[in-house]
Amino acid sequence: MIEVGRLCMKIAGRDAGEKCVVVDIIDNCNVLIDGQTRRRKCNIKHLEPIEKVLKIKKGISHADIVKEFKKLGLEARETEPKKAGPKPKKQIKKKVVEETAEKTEKKVESKSKEAETKKEVKKTEKPTAKKEILKKPAAKSAKK
Amino acid sequence: MPTGRHKSRRLRRVFKKSPGGKTNLCYIKRKPGKAKCATCNAVLKGIPREIPSKINKISSSGKKPKRPYGGNLCSKCMRLKMISKTRIGA
Repeated sequence: MIEVGRLCMKIAGRDAGEKCVVVDIIDNCNVLIDGQTRRRKCNIKHLEPIEKVLKIKKGISHADIVKEFKKLGLEARETEPKKAGPKPKKQIKKKVVEETAEKTEKKVESKSKEAETKKEVKKTEKPTAKKEILKKPAAKSAKK
Repeated sequence: MPTGRHKSRRLRRVFKKSPGGKTNLCYIKRKPGKAKCATCNAVLKGIPREIPSKINKISSSGKKPKRPYGGNLCSKCMRLKMISKTRIGA
């Protein structure tokens, strides 16, 4: 029953109900199929044969199967994937990035200036405090 | 005492612990039953049991298998139907 060229219908899987042709026999269990389904191996238990045998050679290419199916009035599956179109360019995002970059630069500059002023204030305060402490015990000792 | 609409047995009573450590009573809706095959009454696989407010958020590929008669027939009954189509004709 299952021979090269036999028309079958797939029973199981997501492509159930689609017609295919046996292209090559691999095993006691497995078979190569092509047609309205993808070109792949299939289990014989998942196929139901139809009363038609096509005259094709073993290991036929996909392009020849498309011609054979047109004579029967069926459409074979397209194997080439669709080509992706050009991606659209987004210009709005660039402006936002520039604005944020300017803001961060300003913040960094202001922070560095504040740090410098703080350091100067600390340096001026410290020596005055030390001088006062040194003066006080000298005054006390003088009184005594 | 609970309000009138909370006395119905269509609502489940669940005790939940709050982050503060107290336990509170919550009234939750019950889930629907499992989906069954139209011919042999077997339980179907790949179909989630959720209330409508949650099922609307799931994509269509997560609600039924990607096979002809996916959420309606089990795999065995679907194969028998395909065989009868080829032998009898449409």
